[in-house]
Amino acid sequence: MKTLDQKPARPEGRKDPWSQLLEKVGKNQDRQAYHALFEHFGPQIKYYAMANGMASHAEELVQEVFVSIWRRSCLYDWRKAAASTWIFTIARNQRIDMLRKMKRLSVEMPVETEDLWQIPGENEDEPVTSLHRLMSERRIRESLSHLPEEQITVIAKVYMENKSHQMVADELNIPLGTVKSRVRLALNKLKVILQDQNV
Amino acid sequence: MTRHHPDSLTLMEYSAGNLTEPHALCIRLHLDKCPHCQSRVDTLESLGAVMMENHPKADVSESMFDSILARIDNGSDDNEVMARVSVRTDPLQKLLGEDLDSLPWKRQLGDVSVLDISERFPGQHEQVVLQKLSAGGKAPVHTHRGEETTIVLQGAFADQKGVFNQWDFVVLNDQDEHKPVAVGCEDCITLSVLSAPVKLTGTFTRLLNPFIR
Repeated sequence: MKTLDQKPARPEGRKDPWSQLLEKVGKNQDRQAYHALFEHFGPQIKYYAMANGMASHAEELVQEVFVSIWRRSCLYDWRKAAASTWIFTIARNQRIDMLRKMKRLSVEMPVETEDLWQIPGENEDEPVTSLHRLMSERRIRESLSHLPEEQITVIAKVYMENKSHQMVADELNIPLGTVKSRVRLALNKLKVILQDQNV
Repeated sequence: MTRHHPDSLTLMEYSAGNLTEPHALCIRLHLDKCPHCQSRVDTLESLGAVMMENHPKADVSESMFDSILARIDNGSDDNEVMARVSVRTDPLQKLLGEDLDSLPWKRQLGDVSVLDISERFPGQHEQVVLQKLSAGGKAPVHTHRGEETTIVLQGAFADQKGVFNQWDFVVLNDQDEHKPVAVGCEDCITLSVLSAPVKLTGTFTRLLNPFIR
């Protein structure tokens, strides 16, 4: 694959149908495209909420995420992230927001969730990371399929159940060091660990 | 260019949304200035998306979609929301409201001043402090009980582990006894998140413990 394209773009951005649909929502308020996104991502987000202990608020979370997708879609830039990644970050942030609201913290907190966890493409000062982008979703999928089950289990608990590495260790009854080494092995394959030796 | 980065495991916990707000703030400030770490977070966020896709799905109903449409049709606040999200945010400015030098610093001892901003993060149990070491100044020898996550906001400091410049990220724990010195001609200002108070180790400073928060 050539990466010396003039444009700092994700090479496969255009090929991904969900990103095209999301662009249509952003540009034309296309409700058919919006509905297709709902049918595809709605069930994923609902499961995500159920997996991370928000079962009683699962539908509420799906709604919040989709209202947010509609409102932000005009800011979506396919060169910065695939639709699935962009929507994941919105789901993650809406979950954090909802937890904050449940604890009635949102009023007192001067810094909002999105100041701390950004949605890709919404910070004008953001460096053009797509230039440095290490791996596309497609390549992550491929790499994941080669990972041993025990590594995937740990990663799933971190992302889907929102458990810290320590909580994962407690739950699986294995040492924290084992959890960390599984994660490191996985991230190595995913090429996320490149510069850790400099830390 | 920053030389001290968060490790991939921490970035993973960040990308999954599992860090507390003060820790997320330290990461966010670093990411803003570090394209390398930002690109690692991009990949980790895509990993999150792929994990979500690989899991079972839970049924959603058409009536749910109808209520979503009702909300967006009724969205008189859309413009307000969009105005807010399209404005660039500087979390540090939002949090502190003014420039770092004119904050109500509390002088501790000699070259060290601190400002505890834990109350800006209600509902969480970590201590969040700004620390200022005057240009050329030295902090007393100390270790850390628990873990301390620090990001350099201004200037630079050095200890036996190296030089830490603006936007460098460092995690210290109870194994790390250090004696930081501000280097360069600027005061060194850091933001630290502490899971437990700092423990002083020098003989003379022991009485003042804990004077560095």
